[in-house]
Order: sequence, then C-alpha cells, then structure tokens
Amino acid sequence: MSYVELKDIRVSYDNKNNILKDLNLSIEKGELVSLLGPSGCGKTTTLRVIAGLIEPNDGEFLVDNQNLTKVPVHKREFGMVFQSYALFPHLTIKENVAFGLKLRKEKKNNIDKKVKDILEITGLEALSDRYPKQLSGGQRQRVALARALVIEPKLLLLDEPLSNLDAKLRLSMRIEIKRIQSKLGITSVFVTHDQEECFSISDKVAVMNKGVIEQFDTPEEIYKNPKTEFVARFIGFENFFTLTPTEDWKYKAVDGTVFQSNRDWEPGKQTGTIRPDDIEMAASTTQHTDNTVSGVIKVRTFLGKSYQYEVETSIGTLIANKADDVVYQVGDAVTLSIPAHKLIIV
Amino acid sequence: MTQRRTPYLILAPGLILLILFLVLPLISAIFPTFFNGGFTLSNYTSFFLDEYNFGIFWRTIKVSLIATLICVVLGVPTAYYISQSPKKWRGLLMSITLFPLLTNSVVRSFAWITILGQDGILNNALMNIGLLSKPLTLLYTEFAIIIGSVYLFLPLMVITLVGILENIDSEIMEAAETLGANRLLAFVKVILPLSVPGIIVGSILVFTGSMTAYTTPQLLGGNRNIMLATFLYQSATALGNWQGASVIALIMIVATLIVMKLFNWVAGRMDKRGEANA
Amino acid sequence: MRKNVSLKIFAGLVFAFLIVPLLIIIVTSFGTNSTIQFPIQGFTLEWYTKVFNNESFMDSFFLSLQVAFLATLLALIIGVPAAYSLARHTVFGRNWIKSFFLSPTIVPGLVVGYSMYQFIVIKFQFPIIQGLLLGHFLICLPYVIRVVGSTIEQLDFSIEEVSWTLGCTKIQTFIKVVLPNITSGIFASFMLAFINSFNNIPVSQFLSGPGVTMLPTSLMNYIEYNYDPSVSALSVVLMLGTVVLMFVIEKTLGLASIS
Repeated sequence: MSYVELKDIRVSYDNKNNILKDLNLSIEKGELVSLLGPSGCGKTTTLRVIAGLIEPNDGEFLVDNQNLTKVPVHKREFGMVFQSYALFPHLTIKENVAFGLKLRKEKKNNIDKKVKDILEITGLEALSDRYPKQLSGGQRQRVALARALVIEPKLLLLDEPLSNLDAKLRLSMRIEIKRIQSKLGITSVFVTHDQEECFSISDKVAVMNKGVIEQFDTPEEIYKNPKTEFVARFIGFENFFTLTPTEDWKYKAVDGTVFQSNRDWEPGKQTGTIRPDDIEMAASTTQHTDNTVSGVIKVRTFLGKSYQYEVETSIGTLIANKADDVVYQVGDAVTLSIPAHKLIIV
Repeated sequence: MTQRRTPYLILAPGLILLILFLVLPLISAIFPTFFNGGFTLSNYTSFFLDEYNFGIFWRTIKVSLIATLICVVLGVPTAYYISQSPKKWRGLLMSITLFPLLTNSVVRSFAWITILGQDGILNNALMNIGLLSKPLTLLYTEFAIIIGSVYLFLPLMVITLVGILENIDSEIMEAAETLGANRLLAFVKVILPLSVPGIIVGSILVFTGSMTAYTTPQLLGGNRNIMLATFLYQSATALGNWQGASVIALIMIVATLIVMKLFNWVAGRMDKRGEANA
Repeated sequence: MRKNVSLKIFAGLVFAFLIVPLLIIIVTSFGTNSTIQFPIQGFTLEWYTKVFNNESFMDSFFLSLQVAFLATLLALIIGVPAAYSLARHTVFGRNWIKSFFLSPTIVPGLVVGYSMYQFIVIKFQFPIIQGLLLGHFLICLPYVIRVVGSTIEQLDFSIEEVSWTLGCTKIQTFIKVVLPNITSGIFASFMLAFINSFNNIPVSQFLSGPGVTMLPTSLMNYIEYNYDPSVSALSVVLMLGTVVLMFVIEKTLGLASIS
C-alpha cells in the first residue's frame, strides 16, 4: 500500500462526459510526482480531487491508509500552491504564512518560531512585514510556498506554480522548490504542462491525456521509453511510421524494410517512432540493410547548433537533426539509419 | 446534499422580502384592475380613450423624449470634453457633474423655481436689461418640467458616457484626422458611433427617470401640467380612486419596460456591442 | 494637447448650467428679505437658525437619517451574502435571480411606495414606519447586489480555496478572507444606498403619516406653501452634507468608483 492512493477515480460534471475516467495513481512517501499533460487533460482536476476541492463521482482517495474521499477540504491538512499564488491581499507576508497555524490554535511563540523558520528557509525574512502587492512574482511564489509548507502538510499540492514567472525565474524557482521539498521530505504532487520543468523536478511523472494516465514512470523512463504514441508525441518524438510485427520478433515497414528494436517485441504494437536527434544520416549508399531507408532532402532549416532536414523516404517523411559538421543540400539523396536501441515501438 | 442547498438558503431572505414587499403588493394592487365581474381590459381601454388621461400619458412621453434628446445633445460633447481633459482636471469636472446628482431632487427643482418663477431671476434679469416689458410664464409649464428633468438627469448621461469614452483610444481620433477628417467630422464619424452604447444606456436612464419622476413635475409642472407619477398620486390621495391609481401604476411599469426593450433593440441594430452594455 | 475652442465653450456652458442654479440657492440663503431674491440685499444667517429651530425639519431629518441607515444596513446584511452566493455558487436560474434582486430599480419608486402602502399598511395594518423602512430597503438592495457583486467577481477565487486548504471552513473563510477584501465595495454600496435612500421622495410619498415624514418630503411640503430663504438655507445644509460625503468617498475610494 502506497502512502497516497487514488483508486478508480471518476469525475463528471454532467454524468455523460468524464473529466477523469477510472484514474489510478499511487505515490510513495516523500516522492515528488508530476502530473504532465496538455490543457484539458484532467491534471488540474486530479489535483483538485486530491485537495478535496472536487468530490469525485466514483472512486476512493486514501492517504496513509485513511480514506479521505468524503473528508472536506479544510480537514485534509494539505498545503496547496496556486497558479495565481492566491496570497491574501489584506494580510502581511508574516500574517499570510501564519494564517493556517493560527487556525490550529497553536501557542503564539510556537507560531512565531515556525513562521520565522519557514521564512528563513524560503529566504523571505526581510519581507515579512510587507503586503503581497509590494512583492515581485518570484517573491509571491515563495510566500505561497511558505504558507503551504508551514502547516506541515501531509501532502503538498502545486498547481502550475511557475507558469506566471519569466523564464529565468522559473528555472531558479524550480530548483528552489525541489531543494525545499527534498529538505523537508514532503510528499508532493506537481501539476505542469512543461515537460522540461517536470522532468527536472520530479521523482515520477504521470503523463495524462483525456482524463486517463497514459504512463506513470520515472522521468528517464518516460523520456527514453514512451509507452504510447501520445506520450511519445508529447515529449518530443516527431517521426512516426507504421510497422507490422513479423514472426521473427522483427518489424516490417510499408516498403518492406525490416526494422529491429531493442524494446520488448509485442504483437499488438504497430508504430515505430524516433526522435529527430537520434536518426543518423549519411550520403546515399546503394547498400540496403535493416533499419535503414533512403530518401531525398526536401526542406532544410537552420536551428543554430544544428540543421533540421525533412527527408522524403519510402516509409514517409522523416525529420532528422544533424550537427553542422557535414551540411547537406536540398535535393541530396541520403540514407537514414534508425538505430535499434533508439527505435521505440508504441 | 447540504452543499447544494446552501446557496438557496443564503438567497432566501432577500427573495422572500422581495416577494412579500414588492411582488405581492404589486400583484394585489394591479390584479383587481383586470376584473369587473369577469376578466376585462376595460380599465385600460377607457384610460386611453379618455382624452384627459391620454393627454397626461402623451405629455409624459413627450416631455421625457425631449428631455432625453436634450441630454444626449448636451451630454455627448461634454462627456467627450471630460474624457479628453488632463487627469487633474477630470476629477474636478467629474465632481461638478456628480454634485448635482448627489444633491436632493427637491433642492434641484427648487433652484429652478427661483430661476423660472414669475418674479424669478430670469424674468427679473430680462426685464432689467429691457428685453421684456412684462414677465414670461415659465414656471408651471411643460417647458419647466423639461428643464427640470434635463437638470435632474444630465449628470447621469454624462457620467455614463464618460465611462465609455474614456476607453476610446485618443489615437483613434488622431488616426481619423490623419486620414483627412476635420475635427468635427472625425467626432461625428468616429466618436459618436463609438459612444452609441453609452448613449443608449444613458437614454434609458434619462427617459425612464423622467417618465416616472415625481418631484420635478410636482414642483415645476403645477396642477395644469400633470404627468403620470403626479396623476397617480392625485388619483390615490386627492380623488381616492385607488383602482385608477393602480391602472396608472401598471401603465408606468409597462411603459418603462417597453422603453428599455425598445432602446436595447435599437442599440442591437445600430451597434452589436450595445446589447451587452445595456 | 490641442483643444477645440468651441467644444471648450460648449462644455463650459453645460458645467455652468449644472452648477449655477445651486450657487444661486447658496447666495439666496443669506438674503434679508422675507421672500427669495437675487441678487440679495443685506446679509443674514437668520434663515439658518430658523431651519435648525424648525421642529418638523429636525424631526424629519433625524427620521431620514435613521431610516436610510437602517435600510442600508438591512440591505447589506441580506445583500452581501446574496451577492456572494450569486457570484460564487452554482445556482439554478442565477441570472434570473440576479435580475429579480435588481428589479426594484425598474419599478417606478412611486409605484413601489403606492403598492406597498395599499398592501402592508392598509391591508395588513403594518405601522407606516415599518413600511417606510421596507420600502427604503428595496431602494438600497440593488446597489448592494450590483456593487458588492462586482467587487466579489473581481476577487481571485483561489484565495478562498487556499483558505480552505489551510483549515478554514467556508463560513470562516467568508469572514476572514472574503469580507476584509471586499470592504471597499461594501463601503461604496453603503454610500450609494444611503445617499439614494436619504434623497428619495417617491417611495416615501405614500408611506408617510403623522410624525412619519422624511426630510425631502417635509421640505417639499414646505415649498408648496412657503417661498422664503429658509428653504435655501436647508438646501445649503443638504448640499454641505453632499460635499462631505463626496469628500469622504473621494478620500477612501475615489469618486470614479461610484460613477
């Protein structure tokens, strides 16, 4: 039994269209798990179900073996950080952070100490008497985080907390969040649509699409071994081509080219995919071996550190990125080879 | 589920008070006007067939319409002027506009009694400079009611329009001028159409306000220039004709609603944004 | 900025039209003649002492204050939670209910007073003062619903959600988080409702009786039979009240918030 369990969660507003369909998710204590997906995939809904802001139509939600499905939001003791920061405009930073503690009727010097500690951890001591309006975006984000953490929540929930920050700040804040999270060892759920942000921060990632989790794995696994076409596309695979599994645990493309992959052979899977960076390209040769196709360059785009080529081949148009040590011209005939260890079958 | 019921519990006190003290009283006053043995519209047909009554109805519409037109004519340029003023002046100009609006309507009508009266300021001034040999009858006329109504409601029109015109980019006007329009033409072709939603909202406020106003026609109109509101009051108190008063009440409500619908309809035809604003 | 001279003159005349009549009243209130004259002869404050010694003015002034205050308070107590509910909850027929709450502005004031007088004073024998209070409550409610409602709609809903996650119940959240952040809206609607109730005549016109006369009605009755500068003096006092109110509003919210 994991620390956090979502079992067969279903959410529907009109009982016809499901926002979440039989969603299952297990999170271990101390882990930071990201929910990744395009907008409308149900990731925020999942987070709100966990927070207790949405009651699921079906399913159960457990933390530490306690069934919390029917427990109202204010009794769950989770910390939540919102996209808009949602700081209380009428309270100072110190009062914002102390808000949750005061409700818990703790002793005053106890509250003061905890607030002081968390403001120190988040680097906000100097700002404690200011009002949210006087703070920058990054500082507000820190306050929101401090306010959520100070109540020592069983779970920390973060709803796209970095999306309102500029690119540079986003980078440093995500390191900051990770640092504080692992320092306090707090189990966290992080919602984002940014895969780089998600990979850099998470112990595990759940890629969501249309209300279901397509894949739940470590960032490395998801990056290297996407299990479905949706996941592959979402994390940057651009070349997709139809394959037919053959009886000798290989695959055959539409033009008869034989492909081998180091991934487990499964008869049901019929699409091969590879990242543009992983395709190898060479001047055309007549020799035709497995895992290679020949084609003609149709479009060349300069990307800075590399060139991107659109190559028309007998299995479809493939996109390959190549460094600029050898530069090909539009119209050149080339041979593309797709290494077995980089070919993913979905 | 208790959660589903909470909003209705919160809304209930207000709804109940409105039903008890607005809806039920209205129904109980108006319902009997449709019955005389059986269902009948005779109270309403005879109201409009009676020349005296119809005269009052027509005067009310006419006065309100003229007052509205004057408010538009005076209000649009004034509001434009305010919206184009530098920030520090705008506050003062808005205060000058708001001040009469927040001043009691009796006081405002009284001001015009002192101006328009037989021995009033205007007559005295005109006679002193020799333009008149004997005083004009200005007070207790339709003219007085119109002046009073304009005075009462012009601030509303201006404020409504300032809200709209402030949001019009001043560059639009400059763009029109660079395209060769002179200032007046640019104003007519650019500012006027853009202020249509504001004119509509303002006109509804002025028209329905003038139509249902009680104080101004009572103080400035006198007994010979009765309007619907004063007629209602007279019917009920002086004549004890409660049925007649209720008939007038419904006519006022229906006329108000028709005017609002009509203006919104016009707005919808002239400017698609009008509907959302009105 | 270039200014169009004819526009300037036009606007100047309109501003004069708006303000000069009130200035004239101020001047006439100091005249020594027993009827209103302009320009005045002499200077006296006699009319002001007359106003303050006039019992019916004073009684109706305090009645007006009380009624306006209580009606506004009642409208706030009922209207603020209702405005919140309309803004935040999923309510069946939400727009319809909102229009219903705003409907007292559509029904002409005189009709409101008239039907209420017939129904609750004549039919159900309520004391007139209660009818008056309820009538003025009806005037006040739409201002509260509209102004407070739009303030709540502009408030970030997630601060309420955050407050729940931090352990506040919904009621605690309303008191600790929502109310402190909508005080300006509440104050603005209080001001608007109060001014409009205090200045209102049509609703009170039927709902008055012996000892129950609101100040504007009392002033109006006085004008019908008298034409002396004490009317001007009382008008000036009322205008001073308006100035004070405008000043308070400007200092706290900015006049733009009520227009």
